[in-house]
Amino acid sequence: MSTQIQASARDIDGPLLELEDVTTHFKTPRGVVRAVDGVSFSLDRGKALGIVGESGSGKTILSRSIMGLLPPRGTIRGGSIKFEGREIGNLDRKAMRSVWGKEMAMIFQDPMTSLNPVMKIGRQIAEPLQIHLGMTKQNALATAERLLQDVRIPEAKRRLEQYPHEMSGGMRQRVMIAIALACGPTALFADEPTTALDVTVQAQILDLLGEQRRDRNMSLVLVTHDLGVVAGHTDEIAVMYGGKLVEKASTKGLFANMKMPYTEALLNSIPKLEDRSHTRLNAIAGRPPDLVNPPKGCRFAPRCPYAVDKCVNEEPPLIATAEDPNHLYACWYPVGSEGYHEAKVRIAASKHATDALAATSAAGGN
Amino acid sequence: MTTTLAPTTAPSAPAAAPDAPTKGRRLPKWPGLGIVFAITFLGGLTFLAIFADYLSFIPYPNEKILGPNGRPGRYDWGPSWTAWFGTDGVSADVFSKCIYGARTSLQVGIFATVFGILVGGGLGMIAGYFRGWVDRVVMIFTDCLLALPALLLAIILVDRLRAQAESGGVLGWIEERWGIAFIVLTLGTLAVAPLARIVRAQTLTLREREFVLAARSLGAKPNRVIFREILPNLIPAILTVAFTGLSVLIAAEGALAFLGLGAEIGTPTWGKLIDENRNKIDEFWWATIFPCLMLFLTVLSFNIIGDRLSRRFDIRQAGV
Amino acid sequence: MRYFLQKLGQFSIVFFIVTFAVMILMRLGLNAPGDPARTLLGGTVDQELIDATTAKYRLDQNYFVQYFFWLKNIVVDQDMGRSVPLSTDVVDLIKSRAMTTILLGTYAIVWGLIIAVPLAVRQAHKRDSWFDKFGSAGSFAFVSAPAVVLAPIFTLLLIKENTITLWWPFNDYQITFGGWFPRIGEKIYPWQDLGAHFRNFFVPTLVLTLPIAAVFARLLRGDMVMTLQADFVTLASAKGVSPRRVLWVHALRNSLFSLLTSVGLQVSGIVGGAIVVEQFFDLDGMGTMLVSAILSKDLFIVQSTAAVLVFSVVIVNLIVDLLYGVLDPRIRHARALA
Repeated sequence: MSTQIQASARDIDGPLLELEDVTTHFKTPRGVVRAVDGVSFSLDRGKALGIVGESGSGKTILSRSIMGLLPPRGTIRGGSIKFEGREIGNLDRKAMRSVWGKEMAMIFQDPMTSLNPVMKIGRQIAEPLQIHLGMTKQNALATAERLLQDVRIPEAKRRLEQYPHEMSGGMRQRVMIAIALACGPTALFADEPTTALDVTVQAQILDLLGEQRRDRNMSLVLVTHDLGVVAGHTDEIAVMYGGKLVEKASTKGLFANMKMPYTEALLNSIPKLEDRSHTRLNAIAGRPPDLVNPPKGCRFAPRCPYAVDKCVNEEPPLIATAEDPNHLYACWYPVGSEGYHEAKVRIAASKHATDALAATSAAGGN
Repeated sequence: MTTTLAPTTAPSAPAAAPDAPTKGRRLPKWPGLGIVFAITFLGGLTFLAIFADYLSFIPYPNEKILGPNGRPGRYDWGPSWTAWFGTDGVSADVFSKCIYGARTSLQVGIFATVFGILVGGGLGMIAGYFRGWVDRVVMIFTDCLLALPALLLAIILVDRLRAQAESGGVLGWIEERWGIAFIVLTLGTLAVAPLARIVRAQTLTLREREFVLAARSLGAKPNRVIFREILPNLIPAILTVAFTGLSVLIAAEGALAFLGLGAEIGTPTWGKLIDENRNKIDEFWWATIFPCLMLFLTVLSFNIIGDRLSRRFDIRQAGV
Repeated sequence: MRYFLQKLGQFSIVFFIVTFAVMILMRLGLNAPGDPARTLLGGTVDQELIDATTAKYRLDQNYFVQYFFWLKNIVVDQDMGRSVPLSTDVVDLIKSRAMTTILLGTYAIVWGLIIAVPLAVRQAHKRDSWFDKFGSAGSFAFVSAPAVVLAPIFTLLLIKENTITLWWPFNDYQITFGGWFPRIGEKIYPWQDLGAHFRNFFVPTLVLTLPIAAVFARLLRGDMVMTLQADFVTLASAKGVSPRRVLWVHALRNSLFSLLTSVGLQVSGIVGGAIVVEQFFDLDGMGTMLVSAILSKDLFIVQSTAAVLVFSVVIVNLIVDLLYGVLDPRIRHARALA
């Protein structure tokens, strides 16, 4: 697209973002909440990564940990976060300020509450430009107008003078994207960018994000609970559960060959278009784990239909699949393995048994 | 991939549930200490005020305390074993006067608050429930009460009521029976507007709540809805405002007494003590400062309780 | 504009009702013909003068007529009536007294804000820190300290000269403090002698200011803490905005509403405080004048001064109402539509 500011094209080899054993714990009156517990992955320049999980899986905390946006008090951070080869995991907010908005930017979930209600749109977009690029007010506002055009807001000039409440949710989310793109960041974190929007607007916003990512050669981290959202808009997917990374693969690879029963359950929980209406939703039974006292073995075990004793007692390591060294998963009996099939047969048998029992008892009752 | 952008309300993940750290409501530590202090202080003060006549260590407020020379000791005693808070210009025990003053202050505060709750709460509830012109009239009434500076209104009211009572009649009869009646009535009037406002606001929200709508749609009469459904739910708000209001009213009583409009002559009050002894504050500070402290601690205690209640029930009083 | 007129109408109704009510209150019990005039004149006066006064202010007519002529005299002739005991026109009386009260009130509000705003912003920023805890405890204490309490305490601490003798291990070392300010405030205005004005007005102002500052600080801190948890504040940080700018530009303006409401409400509280403070420090302003006028039934002083006070309260609240719109575009737009 047309914006002049391009992502700072520092050609350093290696991934843009490297996480190694990142932990984020919170001290609370109830105890230490292990919100993110040993997550490692890396993200290449210009790629899009989807972080998927239920609420409480630590995905939002992870994205905020990477940006260093968590309140410093009561937060214990560990591990290493390298951004463009530079360690940023231990930087304080003051040191991060030159990174925020300039090299990393974030889009929040709720466009209704994420814009300052008493400040004009133009000023809100111009602010990072003035701070990071030292633009004059006029230049910044002119750039803001172009940014608004980039994110497809009609009558950009008039919009600069408007306040957030004069815009619809979709428009506001576009403004948020414009703010995030303003200084040409190399990494953009989008935290559930479409959850609060109408279904029709969701696709537009996601397309816009994808398009801007390609145009600006920017990495995108898309945090969402919805596998459907990440499917068409990411290169890689990381699935999180209970603060841990449980599966990570290329988007294609994941959908072709998913290993974690949790990933499978997440996918099944999305209603399908070809389902008959009034089909029961396949919700995942149970609740996300208590992160103060997480389960001993696999954190998904208590809710996993295929779990056996080993799952409950021993924590599965994150290992690569035989076919693809980049497809990682943490499960003792991954989907498609022998143990998984056995479990499936077992479940079918017991279901059959209960059904039969129910049938006989029903018959006996008559 | 069969699911692209199907409705995204995956039931396993409730929409719009940010999993950012939500900090628990942590109350700072000192209100814990504060509330203990407030209750102890008020409890002790009430006890002493009620039983002052029977407690041997509290002299009568008009009893002359003898000085070291055996004669009535005007200001002779500072805070000491003989007179805990010293003696004042008429040789009376300041501690005793403070306790008897508490009698007046607490009585005035409590009865005025009750008056305020009955009148203000009633008006607010009616305004909030029936809305329309009733509401408008009540709101204009409270606006008027708030437009005139409270202490000014109090001075005018007390003075006028007194003047009216001089000519006998019903008011005179009342004053004869109950010396602080007019102060109670006046300060009660001051409490009407804030109470009416908060009760009205609460009633407005309550009347749209499901259980009230349910009762109304079942054909319950306004009486029944107000007393059975709305009133019980108003109690937290009323209680909160009442305690905060008590502190304000007791402070106002102090100011009135200081200006010479307090309870009738002979009844000790804190405000009067402050006024009588303030010119001697250089040499005999105790006669002024102790009543000040009593007033301050009482107001503080009621405020602490009010604050605690407003946190507990989550009631914001910015507009009151 | 339409909103403004509506508000103006509402506030004028309040003004008329209150001033009318004050008039009726002051005339309670003066039922016999000639009574109001006799009260007005005070002492024993001949019937002629009573009749003249009665005719002049139409005291024999019903209350509405009396009110109308009283108001007409104020508006048309700037005549607020006359105080016979003080043998002065009420207008001149108010003129000579008002400045003291106006100064006290303005100082209290301005200093209240100057103290409260930085305190509350810093408290909210460093929430739950020691600074915050001490700030909260302090403001809580001063909220509970009315003028009647603070005036004697500051007299003791700042006006009286105190000597405290320390005993072991300080070897009877003596500390002397206080005695910095005169006991009785003299009405010296800043344009006359700034230093003397400061010495005379400092303690009364302090007594009035501290409780108000405490109220302001508590309200602002509460709102500020809420605002700082809002998404847009996090977004501002994520844009790389400095913490100072986040606090003072993004968060503060969104947190000012309770404070503003309270400024409007405090005006009538300040009048009450000023009455006590003026009495205590013998600063003769409108407060002391009012009290003695009420007690001596100087009808026109009470009526007219009350009118002036109610008018100021109403005007301040009107300004506060307009400021809401200035602060928040949403309110502005809603009003434009109304």
